[in-house]
Parts: sequence; C-alpha cells; structure tokens
Amino acid sequence: MTKLYKPEQPRSSLVTGPVAAFASCIIPGLGQLLALQIWRGLLVLGSMASILGLLAWRAVALAPRETGLLAIFSKALARRPFFIGGVLLGALILWLWNVWDAYQQAEPQRRGGVAIFALILFLFFTLGWQISEINLYKAVTELPDVWPLLSKVLWPWEAAVTRDTETVIATAPIQIPCEGSAPESPAPIAGQPYIIAAPTCGELSYMDENNDLVMGTPLHLEGEGFAPNMKTQIYWKDSVGQEFHVRYQGEYVDVQTDSVGEFEVDLVMPYRLQPPSAKGVQLHEVQARQVSEVGGLKPSEPLLLSVERMIETIFLGMMATVFGIVFAIPVSFLAAKNLMSGSKLTLSVYYLTRTILNIIRSIEPLIWVIIAAQWVGLGPFAGIIALTVHSIAALSKLYSEAIEGINTGPIEAIEATGATRLQMIMYAVIPQMIPPFVSFSIYRWDINVRMSTIIGLVGGGGIGFLLI
Amino acid sequence: MLEIKNLTKVYADGTVALRDVSFKVEDGEFLIIIGLSGSGKSTLLRCINRLVEPTTGQILWDGQDITAADQTELRHIRRKIGMIFQQFNLVNRSNVLTNVLTGRLGYVKQRQSLLHRFPQADRELAFKALDRLGIRDQAYKRADELSGGQQQRVGIARALMQEPHIILADEPVASLDPVLAHSILEHLEVLNQEEEITVLCSLHYIDLVQRYASRVIGLRDGEIVYHGSREDIRRMTDAEFKNIYGQEAVRVGGGLEGSVGGSDDKTI
Repeated sequence: MTKLYKPEQPRSSLVTGPVAAFASCIIPGLGQLLALQIWRGLLVLGSMASILGLLAWRAVALAPRETGLLAIFSKALARRPFFIGGVLLGALILWLWNVWDAYQQAEPQRRGGVAIFALILFLFFTLGWQISEINLYKAVTELPDVWPLLSKVLWPWEAAVTRDTETVIATAPIQIPCEGSAPESPAPIAGQPYIIAAPTCGELSYMDENNDLVMGTPLHLEGEGFAPNMKTQIYWKDSVGQEFHVRYQGEYVDVQTDSVGEFEVDLVMPYRLQPPSAKGVQLHEVQARQVSEVGGLKPSEPLLLSVERMIETIFLGMMATVFGIVFAIPVSFLAAKNLMSGSKLTLSVYYLTRTILNIIRSIEPLIWVIIAAQWVGLGPFAGIIALTVHSIAALSKLYSEAIEGINTGPIEAIEATGATRLQMIMYAVIPQMIPPFVSFSIYRWDINVRMSTIIGLVGGGGIGFLLI
Repeated sequence: MLEIKNLTKVYADGTVALRDVSFKVEDGEFLIIIGLSGSGKSTLLRCINRLVEPTTGQILWDGQDITAADQTELRHIRRKIGMIFQQFNLVNRSNVLTNVLTGRLGYVKQRQSLLHRFPQADRELAFKALDRLGIRDQAYKRADELSGGQQQRVGIARALMQEPHIILADEPVASLDPVLAHSILEHLEVLNQEEEITVLCSLHYIDLVQRYASRVIGLRDGEIVYHGSREDIRRMTDAEFKNIYGQEAVRVGGGLEGSVGGSDDKTI
C-alpha cells in the first residue's frame, strides 16, 4: 500500500563544470545547453544576442554619421553615457554571470537559481526605457504646457457658447503711391462713425535687397462718432480687396475710444507682398472696426456640430451592434465546437467558420471602413458597415465560446426525451446563453461607440469626422 | 423486455468502458447496477438510449434493435425511455413548469414547441406530475431556486411526462442526503410498482440497493462480475464484495442493512 516518494533522478550533465564554463565563455548559453539545461541555455543565448543587437541598433541611431564599430560606440557613449555605458556594463556582468551559471548547471545539485533572469529582465527594461524615449525630466519641466490643452478638455464651455456680433466699420481711401491728386477722406456724416486719414497717399512698407524692412509712410488716423470706451481695430484693405488686421512692430494696431467715442492713432502704412506686375496707382483703404456682442448667449457652431455628430456616433454604434448581434447569433452556433462535433460535415463547417471569423477579426475596422467607403461612399453608413463586420466576427467568437462553456447536462437531458436538435437548442442551449449574450452585446456596443470615433477619422461619419 | 447483447463501448481515447456486456431486463423490474466510479455504469445506461453510441453489440427492446435505429426511430424510442441524472440536469434559468414540459418535446409538434407553446393537455399532465411529486406550488419558480431533493423530483416529473416504459436513473441520489435519497427512490419504487415502469438505476449505497432492488448487476472495469436477486444481496459474501469493489475495499457494517465504506481512494 505505502508508496515511497522517490524524487525523479535529475538529468546529468554531458560535461564537467569547467568545460561548461569555458563553453559559455565562448558562446553564452552553450555551457548550459551542454549541461542539458536546454531552456536555460536557449534563454541565455537568446537574451544575450537580443540585448547586444538592440544596443548596437540604438548606438547606430545615436551616431548615424559615424562608421566603424568603435567610432559609433564612442560617439553614442559620449551622447548617452549612462545608457550606453550602463547596458554595456550590464551585458558584461551578464556574460560573466553566464559563465559562472554554466559552471553551476553542470552540477545537478547546484541547479536552479533565477537571479540571472532578473538581470536579463533589468537589461531589457533599460533598453526599453531608451527605445520608447521615456524622458521624465521633460515630463516634469514641460508640465505647464499641458494646462492650456487640458483646461480646454476639462472646461470646454468657453468654446461651446457664443453671442452674435455686430461690426461698425468706417473707412478712408489711401492712394499708393502719391501721384496726381490724393483722394479725400469721406465727409463726416453726423451721428455716424467716420475716420480721417492724413496723409491719404504714400508708400507701403517694403523689403529692400537685403531683406530689411523699410517702413512705409507714417499715417495719422482720427476717428469720431464711434461707441465710447471701446476697443477699435484698425484694418487695411489692399487694392485686390484683401482685408487684414494691421500690425505695427509686431503688435496689432488697436485703439481705445474715449468717452465721447473719438480716437487718434498713428501707424505706418503696412507691408504687402506686391506682385512685380503691380505698377502704377493703387487704391487701398484703411478701416476702423468696432466689434460688439449683441443678444444673449447661444450655442456655438462647433458645439452644435459636435452634438449632431455625437448623436450620429451613438446611433452609428447602436446600429452596428444590432446588425452585429443579428448576424452573430446564427454564426456563433456554427462556430461552437460542442454543437458542431456531431459529424465530419458539421465539424468542417465549424473549422471553416472559425477560420473566416479569425481572418475577419484580424483586419482592423480602420481597414474595413476604407473598403466600405469605397463601396457606399464616405459617411456614417460606411462606418456602420465596418463596425458591423468587425462586430459579427468578435461577437460570434464570444458567443460561440459562451456556448462551448455551457453546462452539457441539460443538453443530454433534453436529448434523452426524444427532442429534435432544434428543440434541444431552444430548451437547453438558449436559456443558458441569455446572460452571456446580453453582457457581451452591451460590451460590444460600448466598444462600437468608442471605435466609431476612430472610424470617423477615416471617413466613417460620427464625431471622429470632426478630428480631420 | 430489454435485452443487452455483447455490448462493448470503446471511447475515442481508447478507454474500454464496457466489455462484452450481456443481460436481460424483464418488464417491471427494478434493476440496480453497482460498481465503482469508472466501472462503466453511466456508459451502460447511456448506451441504452444512445446518448453514448455503443461500439459493438445489440440492444433489443421488445424485439427492436435500438442500436440499429435511425434518427427518427431513435427519437421515438427515446421518448419512451425517461432518464434522471445525478446532477439533475435541469435548465436552471427556466422555471419548473418549463423544465417538466420539456419531457413532452418528443411528442409535440416541433414548430409549436419552438415558440414555447404546449397543448393544454400537456400542461395539465405537467401539473399532475408535479402534484404527484408534491412540488406543484414550486411550478413557477426558477429551477435553480429549488433544493437538491426538489430538483431531482422535477427531474422525475420530467421523465414522467414522457409516459415512459423504462426509466434510466444514473446515480439519482448521489448528490442528496440519505433521507432525501430514500424519498427519491421511494418515488421511483412507486412508479415501478404502480405504473409497471421498468427502472434501471445505478447506485452507490449498498443499503439502498438492498431496500429497493429487485435484481442487481455488479460491474467492474466494464464487465459484469456480479448478478443477483434482492435476497442474494443480503447474503453477499466478502469475496463477492471484493470482486466488485476491488481487493482493497473494506466492508463496513457487514451484510444486512449495512453501509459500506472503503479505503481512502475507494469511497463506496
């Protein structure tokens, strides 16, 4: 009755400790292999090769212009002393450790020890840190740059509401250059804003041969009849009708009206890039603008557009999920091994279905949407097709695995009553399927809504459309 | 009469579950099959309604060869053979009434049944069956809300709905306490005596075997190693016992009304 516990005889080594150590000294891991610690040897060899290979690749990336191993490494070492030096040192330690480890492995009683793998993992981690360009210093010092963006995400309402605006404009003609009779500033009309420019002709700023800016004619503007105590912007309209906010020494020229709605401002006739053909007399215009908000708050254009697209997105996800469920349910029965293992024919249907599903699932919805857009054009419908295809494949797999995981007892019991296959599915399989079906379907809707954002980016409609 | 002739079952992995098993069951018998776990009891019962396909051999029921039946014939045979299980095998999420009504699936029109529609007569039959087993008030509860003993009674009600000539019971009381075990077997006994339903039942507890069996078959490693009447069981010798349960098995409590325990890996 009593069975004595006999430990399994450890596999002996082909070579002695020193030989193994020597072998590992030449090729890392070879000693372990000779000691018949196959996996250990392969791991050490593979790790050593990968670490050195990755290190060489990073060194070349750090010193792209150098040739020759030594030159590359010394340049790379100069640029990233801790990284290159650290990994080189680590690789050296690993090499020595591997020699000692081979010596140990040759002796069955001294086997085991996983610390060498900790060193390997640490070296890979160090390489990964550099390869993925992690920079904690930058992350800390440039943290303030996050705020403007983050605050817009967390508090988007400034862009979400707006008011109607009303612009009051008064203009005066400016002739370039001064030739013949200069135009008059328009005569003031009582009760309406007007500006008087002096002079009404002159030269624009321009670039000389040395690309230095030569200032144009100074211009004095006087305005009256504007709304009091309000910012007034000075605009310029050139001879081809382009309007732009005038800058003087880099700053926009804005002026505040006084308590009776008058202002005075000095500026210089601005720089315009003139085509060589622009010869002769041109008529420009200087403008004073006051922009005031009127009426109550209202949702801004972007907000309305976003809301529209959001609704589109949710329904896009919903439709794709519904279509996905409708098609996935029958397919999932074909992809469930326990239902399809009855005969060779059904089993081959099972394998065929599984293969097709795997292929479909491995193609990203991003690709599907491009295909669908080619078919039905850009827009939400293309997005629905893409998500539906992917949902069918994903849900079929989840459903069929749920079917495979059901309790077979009731199936057996229903079969034993003389029920047909369909009846068996209806009474033994479907009742057990309902909870996983519901939870997988809701989960899929979640995924589809989220995914439709990305889908929109490549033309599948929805909120993602706005990101383009 | 049910006649099993040279029945052999070899599973796909090469396990020989039954080895040339032959015996006869007269109508109205209460045949109990004993044997260790893995001795082939479940396989034997499942071969009779072909939940497990026999490899070779014949099963003749009133002259008809069950092993040769095609799918339609098989379904017609199956609906006359009720089956109850150790794990009850109810559809947990369906209510008791639905579970009982599934016993009629072999009789009703498929199209109707797929819409969960059953004839009124069947519903009345279901309530009668539930009444008979004393669980009528549980009819609209979910099956998994019931206790083990109640669930097994639902299982019997389901089998009863088939108006069976034979009931196969695969360790019907192994998941139940001794008191419930007796009550379940009493139900089977009543069906056996009043309706003359033949019962084939596998059991572990020798005292229950002695109490209920009209005849006993012992299986070991897929072969019949014991054959006896109810009286024979009471007189079972240690040699016979060890022949069924193996040389290491220890008999606890002796013969009459005794229960049997085994060594550490042979619980009986």
